[in-house]
Amino acid sequence: MSEPKIEGYKFKPGYSGMAADTASDQTMFKGVHWGKAMMWIFLLSDTFIFSCFLISYMKGRGSTPEEWPNPSEVFALNAFGVPVPLLLIAIMTFVLITSSGTMALAVKYGYERNRKMCGWLILATALGGLTFVGMQAFEWSKLIHEGVRPWENPFGAPQFGSFFFMITGFHGTHVSIGVIFLFIYAYKTFAGHYDEGKRGWFTSMKGDYVEIEILGLYWHFVDLVWVFIFAFFYLW
Amino acid sequence: MHVGFIFLAVIVGSVLFHIFTPWYWTDIASNWGSMDDTITLTFWVGGGVFVAVCLFMVYCIFKFSYKEGRKAEYKPEDKKLERILTWATTLGVAALLAPGLIVWNQYINVPKNAIDIDVMAWQWGWQYRLPGEDGKLGSTKVENINDNNPFGIILEDINGKDDVLIQSDVLHLKNNRPVKILLRSVDVLHNWYVPQFRAKMDAVPGTITYYWFEPNKVGEYEVLCAEYCGVGHYGMRGRVFVKSEQDYEKWYQEQETFSDLVAKQEEIEFSGTKLVKNNLND
Amino acid sequence: MSEDFNDNKTIQAQSSETISGEGVRGVAPDKDYVRPAEVADQDLYHGHSFITKWIFCQDAKVIGVQYFLLATFTGIIGLILSWLMRLQLGFPGAAGFMTAEHYYQFVTMHGMIMVVYFLTALFLGGFGNYLIPLMVGARDMVFPYVNMVSFWMFFVAVGVLLASFFVPGGPTGSGWTLYPPQAILEGTPGSGMGIILMCVSLILFVAGFTMGGLNYLITVLQARTRGMTLMRMPLTVWGIFTATVLAMLAFPALLVSALMMTLDKVLATSFFMPTILKAGEVLEYGGGTPILFQHLFWFFGHPEVYIVALPAFGIVSDLISVHSRKNIFGYRMMVWAIVIIGALSFFVWAHHMYVSGMHPWFGFFFATTTLIIAVPTAMKVYNWILTLWKGNIRLNTVMLWCLGFIVTFVNGGITGIFLGNVTVDVPLSDTYFVVAHFHMVMGIAPLMVIMGAVYHWFPLVAGRMLSEKLGKLHFWITFLGAYSIYFPMHYLGFIGVPRRYFEMYNSPYITSAVGVNEFISMAAFLVGAAQFILIYNIIVSLRMGKPAGKNPWQANSLEWLTPTVPPEHGNWGDKLPVIHRWPYDYSVPGAKDDFIPQTTPPSEVAGTEVEKT
Repeated sequence: MSEPKIEGYKFKPGYSGMAADTASDQTMFKGVHWGKAMMWIFLLSDTFIFSCFLISYMKGRGSTPEEWPNPSEVFALNAFGVPVPLLLIAIMTFVLITSSGTMALAVKYGYERNRKMCGWLILATALGGLTFVGMQAFEWSKLIHEGVRPWENPFGAPQFGSFFFMITGFHGTHVSIGVIFLFIYAYKTFAGHYDEGKRGWFTSMKGDYVEIEILGLYWHFVDLVWVFIFAFFYLW
Repeated sequence: MHVGFIFLAVIVGSVLFHIFTPWYWTDIASNWGSMDDTITLTFWVGGGVFVAVCLFMVYCIFKFSYKEGRKAEYKPEDKKLERILTWATTLGVAALLAPGLIVWNQYINVPKNAIDIDVMAWQWGWQYRLPGEDGKLGSTKVENINDNNPFGIILEDINGKDDVLIQSDVLHLKNNRPVKILLRSVDVLHNWYVPQFRAKMDAVPGTITYYWFEPNKVGEYEVLCAEYCGVGHYGMRGRVFVKSEQDYEKWYQEQETFSDLVAKQEEIEFSGTKLVKNNLND
Repeated sequence: MSEDFNDNKTIQAQSSETISGEGVRGVAPDKDYVRPAEVADQDLYHGHSFITKWIFCQDAKVIGVQYFLLATFTGIIGLILSWLMRLQLGFPGAAGFMTAEHYYQFVTMHGMIMVVYFLTALFLGGFGNYLIPLMVGARDMVFPYVNMVSFWMFFVAVGVLLASFFVPGGPTGSGWTLYPPQAILEGTPGSGMGIILMCVSLILFVAGFTMGGLNYLITVLQARTRGMTLMRMPLTVWGIFTATVLAMLAFPALLVSALMMTLDKVLATSFFMPTILKAGEVLEYGGGTPILFQHLFWFFGHPEVYIVALPAFGIVSDLISVHSRKNIFGYRMMVWAIVIIGALSFFVWAHHMYVSGMHPWFGFFFATTTLIIAVPTAMKVYNWILTLWKGNIRLNTVMLWCLGFIVTFVNGGITGIFLGNVTVDVPLSDTYFVVAHFHMVMGIAPLMVIMGAVYHWFPLVAGRMLSEKLGKLHFWITFLGAYSIYFPMHYLGFIGVPRRYFEMYNSPYITSAVGVNEFISMAAFLVGAAQFILIYNIIVSLRMGKPAGKNPWQANSLEWLTPTVPPEHGNWGDKLPVIHRWPYDYSVPGAKDDFIPQTTPPSEVAGTEVEKT
């Protein structure tokens, strides 16, 4: 994978200069790695997927005749005998946001070619993701135990279960895929594939630390989406 | 050269076909002549553009087809011409859009004296409900539908008691009186469409949709389902009779109301239980 | 694996012969200056075995041909289905096995195959893969491996789609729009496995397409050759690029609606399902809204129309320009029209739903946006015919297809103004007028472009010309036949014949039109059969066609300027091309030939006055 690196490209001033730079030959985004550009556009597409889900959710919630369950009761967790609303979800969100932080640090150490630090931080991120998925599984089993199903819901509108399981499930799948890749990348980092530019097993492209940044973009995106899901499901 | 002539023949043929076609819209039988007018307007403007563009193309074929050694003109763009064409097109489009929006505004605003008609659709048939003396339809619920209550009328609703129920696919309408068609479906999408009335709207399960028209020609018309609704879609027909006021009233008085139906059912049930009792006594 | 790379032969992008164009004081600035390379040369995986060279191949050109062949294969299935439908409509009962169930299944599969698996895959997967790297001067797509996976996902999607013909209940018969609730309820054929497989196939298609689409976008955005500015790209690339952007943003809605529909069917959720009474019993569904599906579907469905149309616009512009020996008139406006049409296409979706029972006020908004989109579209039409004006038009097969495109597209576009204008749509929607309109504008018109493109680029792909004689025969039967199918069909719509009717019984609307219905069916059989002329032509010409040589059409654009014809893997040999001009310098005053290829530096054609691009 070739990386366009242009040092000293002189950007032209003003709006017309910006237009000229954008339309100029070879690249539109000066100095942006192909893989990074790809991930940004993929994330834009993915944003549309999640937007469609959330807009459908709003429409579905707005038009169902039955009452929507109260999130602070449904999602409450008993801590020391007292039901605390949103306790689990607060911890989940905290874990996921923290993992975003470790991911950012991993990218930093990657570019500094600090192999060990980078590898450990990727592992930490993966563990954060794994914890998140685990806690989500716990929440799912709790709701299922209480009788919530995709097709029915003892607390009110059945659409609550449908949308909740579908959207958190879709997001959870994103996190899980991210975790799998994090583990692979941690292995590749520790094995030094990025230092020596070893070719990938599938794609046969030369390894480079930029791959960690690309995965980082994905990971931050998944976190950001979670914030929206959190707001729409737990706070509304 | 023959290329130009064939294309010319296609264009001329299209125009002639349009002029002499035996297949054109059915005679209108409602107030929506304005829809026909917008179609005619669009036909003139659009057809004009079609003919003009194609004739220009044919002219180019005749005039500029390949000659060894001739050089084409080199003219990347002509700002002025492009601006003129843009504005002319915009103007044409606006001229088509404006009447369209005006008529649409009429279409979605129902006149006050319109009679509400409940058109209930299912796979694959229609039935109708007219308001009684009070002029109001009772509200309904899909879950309430059963043999005793074919329209699913909510029993507590006073307005529903005198509703006139027509359990067949034949509807009668009063000439020159606007009707508001309230569409509902108990299963899938349907669309109550009479080509002569021009108007249509989907019936969507879970909600009530509407449109209105004013029949203005006495006669018999066929109802077609215009939204694909499964394997019996093509057979989902009905009939509408538009009648003069007297004929309509006569027909209207003969129809059964919801209370009539309930009373009849109770009678049947009553005699049924009596029969059982008598049998038991034996 | 690394021995598969020509590591020792890694090619350095050549820096320009001169160092600076700024001009040192006292020295005239160099006219031929092109900025030095920003992008290092791409290293490519060269396949060795048959499998890596021709099957799991990472060469965009081979992938393009694979897409083309598979899309054509599904297209032929769609064609056969359309024959069966027309047989039933023109001559009811002529095919004994044709029940209403079968008819609706064929309608559905015909529609879905033609729109998604034929046209979309052919334009973006086929032409996109083959032409984008060649036209922008790249060695290959930027992620060849992902590109390869994209094709095989498409392959699996087609497999799943065709598998639905063989499951109990058969393929879904819910119309290509798959509207719930009927799509998943009994009463619609294939409401069991059929609809599930359809949804799965669509999800696979979207996933596969996303992989391909990312490739097309990044190749255009970040991998052009030196000198290839955005405004020097051929309109073909602009069309495919914009269509891909639309696809990347529109397919998510399809994915989401397909997923929700699958859940409604498999898990009995009620996303789209209100309370429903079937056979006297209330089903377990409740509380959903069918209109939501329609919004999601058409948020995909309308851009989808332009996903098919924009590449056609782009390609036809290039074909017309090359074969009139004249630059495309108003290139800048053509580019902006493509971009504006693409952007507007996200704000018009509900014009498919004027009579769907959505809130009637939407009608005002969507009618306005829809008619606004007519303006840039009309500008494109004007520019095509103005390109012909004072040109030197070669009336060869390629040009004939382009002329056919103009006639059918203008015809279909005008009927689009009927249907887009909300009031006019009310009497005409859901009738044969709609069928005639969309077949004319997004069936026949893009097909004309595909055919023109096949005749135009076949010499590049195969190195041999197609037979002109057969080509002209093919064109005239197809054009006149297709026109006489769809032109009279509009009038069936005026009478009020609803679409998707298996049989008309004896309604007065249709009895008056029995003759025209039979005629349409006969024409459809003929046009379908004529397509096999092309297949015969291709097979014969592959072996016995006239050798094409380099640049048989005297075109300017980059795909004809490769060192070998057909181009090899890596496209450009040792040295990447450097671009000095736009691809439309035809018949430049003062130039010796009537074309100046994009790679010709200004110093070689001194004394010409060309547009600065």
